[in-house]
Amino acid sequence: MELSARLRAMAPSPTLALDQKVKARIKRGERVTPFHLGEPDFDTPVAAAQAAIDAIHAGKTHYTQAAGIPELRAAVAGKLRRDQGLAYAPEDVLVSVGAKHSLYNLFMTVLDPGDEVVIPSPYWVTYPDQVRLTGAIPVIVPCGPDTGYKLTAAALKEALGPRTRAVVLNSPQNPTGAVYTRQELEDLARVIVGHPDLLVVSDEIYEKLVYGTSTHTSIASLGPEIFARTVVVNGCSKAYAMTGWRIGYMAGPRPIIQAAGDFQSQVTSNPTSIAQWAAVEAIAGDQSPVEAMRRAFDRRRQLMVEHLSAIEDVTVMDPGGAFYCFPDVSRRLQRPVLGRMLSSSAELAELLLEEAQVSTVPGEAFGAPGHLRLSYACDDDTIREGVGRMRDLLAR
Amino acid sequence: MQVRGMAQRMQQLGTETAFEVLARARALEAEGRSIVHLEIGEPDFDTADFIREAAKAALDRGETHYVPTAGLRELREAIAASIHSSRGVLVDPRRVLVTPGAKPIMFYTVLATAGPGDEVIYPDPGFPIYSSVVRFAGATAVPLPLRESNGFRVDPDELAALCTSRTRLVILNSPGNPTGAVSTDEELAAIARVAERWDAYVLSDEIYRPIAYEGPAPSFYAQAGMPARTILLDGFSKIYAMTGWRLGFGVFPPELVAGVERLIVNSVSCTAPFVQRGGIAALTGSQAPSVAMVEAFRQRRDFLVQALGEIPGLHCLVPQGAFYAFPRIDRFGTSQEVERGLLQEAGVAVLAGTAFGEAGEGYVRLSYANSLENLHEAVERIRRWCRDR
Repeated sequence: MELSARLRAMAPSPTLALDQKVKARIKRGERVTPFHLGEPDFDTPVAAAQAAIDAIHAGKTHYTQAAGIPELRAAVAGKLRRDQGLAYAPEDVLVSVGAKHSLYNLFMTVLDPGDEVVIPSPYWVTYPDQVRLTGAIPVIVPCGPDTGYKLTAAALKEALGPRTRAVVLNSPQNPTGAVYTRQELEDLARVIVGHPDLLVVSDEIYEKLVYGTSTHTSIASLGPEIFARTVVVNGCSKAYAMTGWRIGYMAGPRPIIQAAGDFQSQVTSNPTSIAQWAAVEAIAGDQSPVEAMRRAFDRRRQLMVEHLSAIEDVTVMDPGGAFYCFPDVSRRLQRPVLGRMLSSSAELAELLLEEAQVSTVPGEAFGAPGHLRLSYACDDDTIREGVGRMRDLLAR
Repeated sequence: MQVRGMAQRMQQLGTETAFEVLARARALEAEGRSIVHLEIGEPDFDTADFIREAAKAALDRGETHYVPTAGLRELREAIAASIHSSRGVLVDPRRVLVTPGAKPIMFYTVLATAGPGDEVIYPDPGFPIYSSVVRFAGATAVPLPLRESNGFRVDPDELAALCTSRTRLVILNSPGNPTGAVSTDEELAAIARVAERWDAYVLSDEIYRPIAYEGPAPSFYAQAGMPARTILLDGFSKIYAMTGWRLGFGVFPPELVAGVERLIVNSVSCTAPFVQRGGIAALTGSQAPSVAMVEAFRQRRDFLVQALGEIPGLHCLVPQGAFYAFPRIDRFGTSQEVERGLLQEAGVAVLAGTAFGEAGEGYVRLSYANSLENLHEAVERIRRWCRDR
């Protein structure tokens, strides 16, 4: 017996082998500097965890409405109004098992086989994987350092065709930390509203983590036309260090939200009831823990950029958001490392793990070879020491 | 709004009528009407204290970060051990995949095994999601009628007659929703031979297996040779009264594990770690609360089935498992008419048998996951309604 064609079409992750090597090393108790991690190293705010414990004690352990408890949908609608100026009703919000689940529900709901979805690269690998799972076709638009790794209106226009159904925007962006300016989003919005039937999937999961002069703008806030075309995706994982709770959400045109809710009701049912109560507290309660985390990330960001910039033939953009640096190592790959020529950033990532005990994610994982992603969700000493060992290795 | 409609496959998505009836019942309650709720398939018990404490302790320890997609190793091992003790089957924990509820296992299984041109056989009447997700995946859903004359159990010969070279998957559910029927060991063995003959996968939904009243319900997964072609679906919602927690699992043949894990990583990432800690406590702790719950269900079943049987014109088989009664009501109208009449006129929320497939016409489903007191009241209202009909 064999797998369905759909599953056979899902290629294994290009970085799976490296990922398994890292995990094996950590399991064996070997020291690894974990720059590969994609989650905050902070703990869930105490008040949110307490809300979950209260919910357990109160016996809130039964099925909830499949789309989420009304309190949480209202809290999300309130948050989107408070933070982004977006006028959604609670019925325009669907709560899911993490923001990734929101994207999955959305793509399953709106994409037909043969539809095209514009995805700027570097991208989070989940976007093309989920799109392919529906039988739709990811149209990858490379965005390099010249545009700050951002999609331009001209590049978007070029990529659009009669079958284009959606464009995925992610700001602040994983893996580069790029943040779109309001002007850039306005330019994109103009192209989008001029193209019939085009949806914007706006992944704003890193929204709270912006630094320096960068500010977060939701493309949905740029007028009624683009608002009607946008599905905003967000969640609790990054802003509130609540990755394991699995609470994400989307807000958008009501017919889409209702259909995605029907789909979720059939294949998943509600997200964990007590996690939903924690999310109500996190989203509607005191926001000061968010700012404390943001400040810590900002300090680490500056530290990591400073140390990476000191490495010869490595260039790094100052990331305006998220918690990653995405240095370009392609120039360094033109010279031998430890006496041998490396053919790719994937090979370099392997070498860094083997010889410097530093774990990074190669750009190949994001459709952007020649780069490495380093997370600064770790303490200052780890950043100094890990990047230091990288520099030593790359000097040899 | 300018955006185009939904994907084509959305038209294939059925509905889970239970939630619609619940909504209508709630609307009547908002008008001040009294409604007895027998429409929802959820234990009315609370999660046991020690399970809740285990989850709380995990929260206190800060177990709130990402965990491996397939589930915590300790939970997968505890599940494998529990399958060994309950079914006598040795299971490699690496074939156990943990998910937020058991429902996702249905969809992942169908996505992994069937596509356009493939046929999937499902029980009718049966849980409505089966046929819905099969059609959603683009495969052909082939109903296998369950007949009252056969105690609503799968007839292996009838199953064999439906199998073709395109049959990729057969879905079984014993004890079954909505009928409470439990297949015998001999029947399951005969079904196993059919699956082998047609080289089909089997999804054995055994979520109600511990809720059986006439001795342990035989497990299809325990049939010789079947773990190699069977996806075992089970979870914590029903037997541990953990519906809201969302914790379920599948045990997969080796060749499906990596693919399904990729489906999980691409849809939900992982299952909340503190929920999984609750699951470990449930499996390794005292089973006394579950035993007491099943005993309570038995008392309610005995009362309800006998009382329904005393209503002239109504006929109800004795369900052997799960917590549903599935009486024949065709003397009083179609399933939908009776569902509507009982809700609007009698104030009892039940589900039309047709919510579970065409073969459910002539029946309604009553969930007895409700107090004896409420069941008394419901029967009284049904009796009056039938009398005046």
